[in-house]
Amino acid sequence: MNKIYTVIRKEYLERVRSKSFVIATLLGPAIMSLFILMPMLLSDAGKDDERLVGFVDPSGQWLTPLTEALAEQDQGNVQLVVVGEGNSGPEERIEEMKTKILAGELHSGMMVDPDFMESRQITFYNQSVSTLVVRDEVLRPAMNQVLRQAHFRAESLSDSLFARILTPTSWSSILLSDDGEQEQDDAVSMGMAFVLIMIIYIMVIMYGNHTLTAVIEEKSTRMVEVLLASISPEDLMVGKILGIGLAGLTQFGIWTGAFYVLSQRGIEIGGMSLDVTFLTPVILISFIGFFILGFFLYATMYAGIGAMCNTVQDSQQFHTTLAMGLVIPMMLLTLIIRAPDSTLAVVLSLVPLFSPILMFMRVSVSNPPLWQVGLSWVLMAASIWFSARAAGKLFRVGILMHGAAPTWASLIRAIKA
Amino acid sequence: MNATASWLPEIGQPLLTLNSVTKSYGSKIAASNVNLTIPRGCIYGFLGPNGAGKTTTIRAIMNIILPDSGEILLGGKPLDGTMRDRIGYLPEERGLYRKMKCRDQLGYLAELKGVPRGEALERADQWLERMGLSEYRLQKIDTLSKGMQQKIQFAATFISKPDLVILDEVFTGLDPLNIELLREMILEEKDRGVTIIFSTHMLAEAEKICDSICLIEGGEIIIDGSLASVREDFPLKSVRVAWNDGTQPPDDLPGVLHRKLEDGSWRLTLAEGHDPKGLLPILSDAGSLTLFSANRPSLNEIFLEAVARSRGKVQS
Repeated sequence: MNKIYTVIRKEYLERVRSKSFVIATLLGPAIMSLFILMPMLLSDAGKDDERLVGFVDPSGQWLTPLTEALAEQDQGNVQLVVVGEGNSGPEERIEEMKTKILAGELHSGMMVDPDFMESRQITFYNQSVSTLVVRDEVLRPAMNQVLRQAHFRAESLSDSLFARILTPTSWSSILLSDDGEQEQDDAVSMGMAFVLIMIIYIMVIMYGNHTLTAVIEEKSTRMVEVLLASISPEDLMVGKILGIGLAGLTQFGIWTGAFYVLSQRGIEIGGMSLDVTFLTPVILISFIGFFILGFFLYATMYAGIGAMCNTVQDSQQFHTTLAMGLVIPMMLLTLIIRAPDSTLAVVLSLVPLFSPILMFMRVSVSNPPLWQVGLSWVLMAASIWFSARAAGKLFRVGILMHGAAPTWASLIRAIKA
Repeated sequence: MNATASWLPEIGQPLLTLNSVTKSYGSKIAASNVNLTIPRGCIYGFLGPNGAGKTTTIRAIMNIILPDSGEILLGGKPLDGTMRDRIGYLPEERGLYRKMKCRDQLGYLAELKGVPRGEALERADQWLERMGLSEYRLQKIDTLSKGMQQKIQFAATFISKPDLVILDEVFTGLDPLNIELLREMILEEKDRGVTIIFSTHMLAEAEKICDSICLIEGGEIIIDGSLASVREDFPLKSVRVAWNDGTQPPDDLPGVLHRKLEDGSWRLTLAEGHDPKGLLPILSDAGSLTLFSANRPSLNEIFLEAVARSRGKVQS
């Protein structure tokens, strides 16, 4: 027991004192918030750029209402440029507009059908698919509004009626739980759930991989024979996994603590305030629980594989396969969100390899029965026990093995032996 | 000397006993029916060519691999994991954490042998001083030369004050000065009652330091006993001879088993019952002799003869 503690101590301190740990701990949250902010910033980027859209309108009646509609939608940066002055025909104007688009003078161009009231036809000229955002998010809604308004006016209906008809319905949602009820900001809850899941995903894969390389390093430095003269392979493995896991927990704890403190002070990122009400005790406990169980499940498997491999290259094929256990549930997330309590979701979230991500997602977005959460923990704990035993065997067989790279078949043979 | 000393046998009494230890990897037999008794307080040579089964036998003693059959007794008791702490092991495959400081490295390895942390670091400092490496105590291992690293490894083997030490090819890669330093340290430790298993394929090295030896070949022990008794069992004689003009010995010398050119003179090993004197006339006829001396056989010669005998046994 003392020896396991000695190994834990060494592995833990070695990691926590390393520069890369300090840097990752400090930069982690920065990178994480960048992940959240980037899409927001990107969607904002370019909004203020002036976009010149060529405008050909044989009827001559749409320019003013469309300009007004654009201004109303706060899209003043999209400027309409009427192409072709005087008495040139529509064909010539279109040709001129095409030339200007190709020359880069215009962002894109639109031709409103002479009989637009009835045909609703507009032709959009552009040079690349990227301009379609302007078409679909700016021009089309504005033009739809213009057309509707024109029809209302043609029927002599009042503008105030038009405004009232267009006003959308307003919803607020209340989250019900045993503790009572509260206002809910679903966009924030969903966003928070994703952040927490990303943390579990990144930490489990990162620290699992740490375990793998730490074991391989022991072999490649030939340290292992010196160590085995003092400690049994099983104790060595347990010590390494616990030491690395504690380092992971430390980082995790620092992040969670910092996050909690920041959210208490009401930090706002890009208009989205961090909502602590999302972090209910149930979610917090599940978060920590799923991280710990997930880490040990993957770490024991990685350790066993590491013991059989001589180089990091040897381990790549196994690493990729194991990582699938985390990547597949990430891809299944949207499926789970749509129906978190469907039979498929329940079954998938009970698969131990998937549980850290899928069951935690269900806990975050829904209210799965407690027995399901408990069962997933029991199943994971049982898997950890089996995987640790198998890894212990692989350690004994593999740790002194040098030579050919192992295969899945040799791995299974060694576990069965 | 320490708390567990009570189980130690008297000097000269059996400390480590191997009874019919056998280990095979697949169809390859690495150790076959190995029987050994190593008395306390001696330096015991574990000799044999590369791949003879030395390392396998050592790993079985260290409880790193489990033998297929047979038993290993330490101080009369079956070997188990806890007894490992009383054994120091310097494996042929050296290993140190490259990024760890020398002092921490020694301290860690001592701790793993059950030495309390504070004392482990204290002893680390003492050993670094003894090795003349005090100024490097806070430097990382990979800033040290290979020879220095080897000395650290040597210190790590003895830092837990073991009762039994296994040194596998300890002198490989060291310069003569350091070999001399380590040899003296090994003898000092022996004087304190430490039993040392000295495993090597360099028979000349073993001859200088060992009290007793065993020779392993093909996973089997073919010679075992004190150096003196081994020499008695192989009453070979050898002759060193040289001519002034580099003449080669004649082809059909009576009773000569092996011939070998060493440092400008020929070493001729004689079969049992042959007298060096009988050779002298033939050799002096071949040219003008500058050297003729009769010697004890070297371990090398004994080994070659022993291998020939054991193979002859297998064939007949």
